[in-house]
Amino acid sequence: MDTQKQTTRLLDAVLFREIWKAMKVTFKHMFHRPMTFQYPREKRTIPDAHRGALGLLRYDNGQERCVGCDLCEAACPSRCIKVISEEDKSLPLQRYATEFYIDITKCVFCGYCVEACPVNALAMTKMYEYSTHDKRTLMFDKQRLYEIGDQHLEDAKKYLYAHNQEQDDEESRTYRYHFPQPIGKTEASDS
Amino acid sequence: MALKPVTTPDTEAATISLNIDGETVTAKEGVSLYDVISSMGKIVPAMCYHYTFDPFGSCGMCLVLQEGKKSPVRSCTAKATEGMVIRTDGEDLFAARKKAVEKHLSVHPLDCPVCDADGHCELQDMAFEHQVTDLANAKQKNIPEDTRSLVLDFNMNRCIACGECINICKDVQRIDALQFMKKGGFTQVVAKGDHALDCEFCGDCLAVCPVGAITNKFSKYVYKPWQLRKTTTTCNYCGDGCQMYVETKDTEVVRVTSPLSWKNKWGDRGDTVNGHGGLCVRGRFGFQFIDSKERLKEPLVRNETGLAPTPWIEALDTTAERLTDIKSRYGSEAIAGLITARCTNEELYVFQRFMRTVLGTNNLDSSARYGHMNFVRAVHHALGINRTMNTSADLTKAKAILVVGANVTETNPVASLRVKAAIGTYKASVIVVDSMQTNLAKLASHPMMVKPGSEGAFIKGLVKSVLEQDLIDPDATAQAPEALSALKAAARAVSLDAVAAETGIPVETIQEAARIFAEAPRSVILCGEGIVRQPDGYNHTLSLVDLAWVTGKLNKPGCGINTFTEEGNEQGAVDMGVAPEFLPGPVPCAQAEARQKFSEAWDAPLPDAQSGKSLVEILDDCRAGKIKALYLVGENPLGTLPKSFGVEEALSQLELLIYQDPFLTETAHYAHVVFPACTFAEKDGTVTNQEGMVQFLRPALDPLGESALDWHIMVGLANGMGQSLPYENTQDIQAEIRKVLPGYYNLGEPRPVVADAVAYLRNGYADSVRARYADGRAQKSGRPYGLKLIQLIYHSGKLSTKASGLMDISPNAGALRMSLEECERLGLAEGGRVRVTSDHGSLELGVQADVNVLPGTCAFPEHFNEPPVKDLVRVVVDPITHVPYFKSTQVTIEKV
Repeated sequence: MDTQKQTTRLLDAVLFREIWKAMKVTFKHMFHRPMTFQYPREKRTIPDAHRGALGLLRYDNGQERCVGCDLCEAACPSRCIKVISEEDKSLPLQRYATEFYIDITKCVFCGYCVEACPVNALAMTKMYEYSTHDKRTLMFDKQRLYEIGDQHLEDAKKYLYAHNQEQDDEESRTYRYHFPQPIGKTEASDS
Repeated sequence: MALKPVTTPDTEAATISLNIDGETVTAKEGVSLYDVISSMGKIVPAMCYHYTFDPFGSCGMCLVLQEGKKSPVRSCTAKATEGMVIRTDGEDLFAARKKAVEKHLSVHPLDCPVCDADGHCELQDMAFEHQVTDLANAKQKNIPEDTRSLVLDFNMNRCIACGECINICKDVQRIDALQFMKKGGFTQVVAKGDHALDCEFCGDCLAVCPVGAITNKFSKYVYKPWQLRKTTTTCNYCGDGCQMYVETKDTEVVRVTSPLSWKNKWGDRGDTVNGHGGLCVRGRFGFQFIDSKERLKEPLVRNETGLAPTPWIEALDTTAERLTDIKSRYGSEAIAGLITARCTNEELYVFQRFMRTVLGTNNLDSSARYGHMNFVRAVHHALGINRTMNTSADLTKAKAILVVGANVTETNPVASLRVKAAIGTYKASVIVVDSMQTNLAKLASHPMMVKPGSEGAFIKGLVKSVLEQDLIDPDATAQAPEALSALKAAARAVSLDAVAAETGIPVETIQEAARIFAEAPRSVILCGEGIVRQPDGYNHTLSLVDLAWVTGKLNKPGCGINTFTEEGNEQGAVDMGVAPEFLPGPVPCAQAEARQKFSEAWDAPLPDAQSGKSLVEILDDCRAGKIKALYLVGENPLGTLPKSFGVEEALSQLELLIYQDPFLTETAHYAHVVFPACTFAEKDGTVTNQEGMVQFLRPALDPLGESALDWHIMVGLANGMGQSLPYENTQDIQAEIRKVLPGYYNLGEPRPVVADAVAYLRNGYADSVRARYADGRAQKSGRPYGLKLIQLIYHSGKLSTKASGLMDISPNAGALRMSLEECERLGLAEGGRVRVTSDHGSLELGVQADVNVLPGTCAFPEHFNEPPVKDLVRVVVDPITHVPYFKSTQVTIEKV
């Protein structure tokens, strides 16, 4: 037994068997499609359910969806959201967020805020490139969040669809509230 | 219990026993079944129930099964009877309750995300608890929101018609400002007559609303309950000392809530004798001054150009240096200090110690001098006590209450609810003597509208009437028969006819009032600003003592003499010895034993007791140039006292005026140094309410900017003067107070006081009583109208004018309030102008008709100095207590 083992080791050493083993993998890969791709020149196709940067959405008529209800803040496990709301005196019963902050450095991308949102104002997008030299810019404010939402509206809608949260505006009314609801008598008869 | 208490001081209800879920329970006959169940610790859901009022039975949630009945019964409206067998739990009951929730939810909009009650909503909780997930036939009411009121918005889409708001307004507040109305096919809550809600705005309806149907305009849509940090503290506006929750978000106050809420609905109706847990308009909606933009944020020191921001260390150093300099050049007598009674006990204690030991002067006073001191001095002199005698429970359960010169619903709205409960629930006879038609007078059994300034004459008339009708209590007067004969002799100078002529109340009515007061088993006297802030307040309080003594109402349980205070801690200011005549306790400053004790405790000699000067004397001496340095802590004499008193001259004479306040008021413009102080919401400490209950203030916010606690500044000044005060935190001060005043912090229970009039009645009573009853006649002025500076429910002192919410509710109309008759007689339409002339000045201003003002009088709120109506009055100083009286005068009124 002992001599056989020693012979194998000797042969391995003489024939460089380990090198050949490694080279076999190398040569195999010469005929293989490359696994890596040249980021940032090339980009990966991202699935619709991907959890990227958060954005705030508007209705098709351009109105802000967010009603400042603060449920996202309540749902957030890492406490990175802050909402400050106020009454919009121009419309009956309209509440809106005057300020909206997401500290994306603290965000754990769990998506709970999107699930909590009663009006689907929040959605996750496929945007993931926001590295910066200035950490302060990673405190997304309301303006930045709406910019992200506007730029990535299609992706955001796909995200909501993938997470079974919204199909289209009309259909979603059956299980999501659409604000502002027509409250006054006159508005009710209009609709 | 929610039903009217079955056990009153006069009757005891029978005991019954019944079976609930297999347990045998005993209860008092006549109570609600729901109360029996909740007293066992079982919680049966109920949305329209609150222990402070009668059960209403609209929500249909409190269903229980009674043996022998097929369908479930509503336990809140059912009375517990002997031998009942009740089941409170089970699947059938759960299903029945679920049906009730579904019924409410099917017409309730699901706008929870924007609703202010979200997360603090009973309907939400019930829907969750009963697993309501599917709502068939849900429909919307589509009622537009009623935003007509200044304070509250009514969203009747969310209303579940539980009626709690209406019931609390009717049963507890006894204002009855709300009602149900069928409108647009739905039952809605509207203000009486479907007008814009215009009431006292106590906000109790908002507190008990289990859904978001009633919302508060001042914090609408700016918060969600889970974002707020809740701090339990004590309201600082008046002497009631209501507990309240200041709810803050970061550095701003979002709203103020009360222990009264739909959340704590279980309780014993009888417990409301200690208060119902609610607040008044000032406490609930007057919080904006706390984080006001006008607050002082850094110390200011006067230089050539004016008041300039200066770092703390420098400001304290220069001030301490100048104080030391003045002390060494002119002596301690040339320094004086005044402090507001809105400070905590600890601050008041440190203030008087600072003044007495560091500065070595006895020239110190507090704003209790403006009135409360009259009461304290009178009962201290006569009865050996230093505060009111009764608790709110005594007041509620009294059989007769004599409210004299006290517009309690305006000055102390929450304490006044005890009188209202006495009227409504316990059926007391209430005699209201006032020169205004007060809200209490409208409810009282015996309202007596006297001519302005004749309250004192009325009291003498009552004493006379008691003596005449022989309503004298033989036991009480047996202790001092010679005093009784002295009183009888003195009362000969009073004739009832003359009193009737002076007050405008017929003799028979005075006699009846005397009979009611003397014959009731529990009679309470309640005097207020109309006595202690009006000329002869001290003597009138002593006359009230006479009345209580001869009718035997001094030492019987549930009887006594009481007053209500205007500022949050006036009683504490007296107890902490912030007055030249008192040391902490309060004990007389001249008492050798006490002087020994305090000079040992403070390790310093005390200033001479006789040398101390009170508020009026201090300002007089400033004007005369005898006082060179004045330390004002939250006091604003320039804004308070009439111009003719010469505060301006007094302040401009000073070499050093140190001004310490959260705001830069008119007095601050004369200051050499201004220190920014904190408001009550940033303070840690205790305050003593008018009942003598020591209650906690807890900091809801960090001090704004660089503002500091009042006692911190005093300790800093002492350090700068080279004499450190040994305090590092509030607990250190409290430890010292515990040592020098054992038992002062008594876990919220006021120490009972025992009145002892014997010494007073046996020594020199005859002379004093003769003098008091001798000149019954007030000097007739040539001017026909009585002008009163009144307090409004929406304001407290000048502080509330910094609260934007209260200013929205009650802005300065700048108009004289006159009765409708007088307006008509003078030919004044709304918005007409008059010239008001007193002996001391003349002024042109607008007129406002006010149904509460009686003909022959006119009134102006004391909270506003624009137009300067206060300057029409001259200060009259009480010869004994040195209280300045400047709340009334005689005027002539001409149409312009």
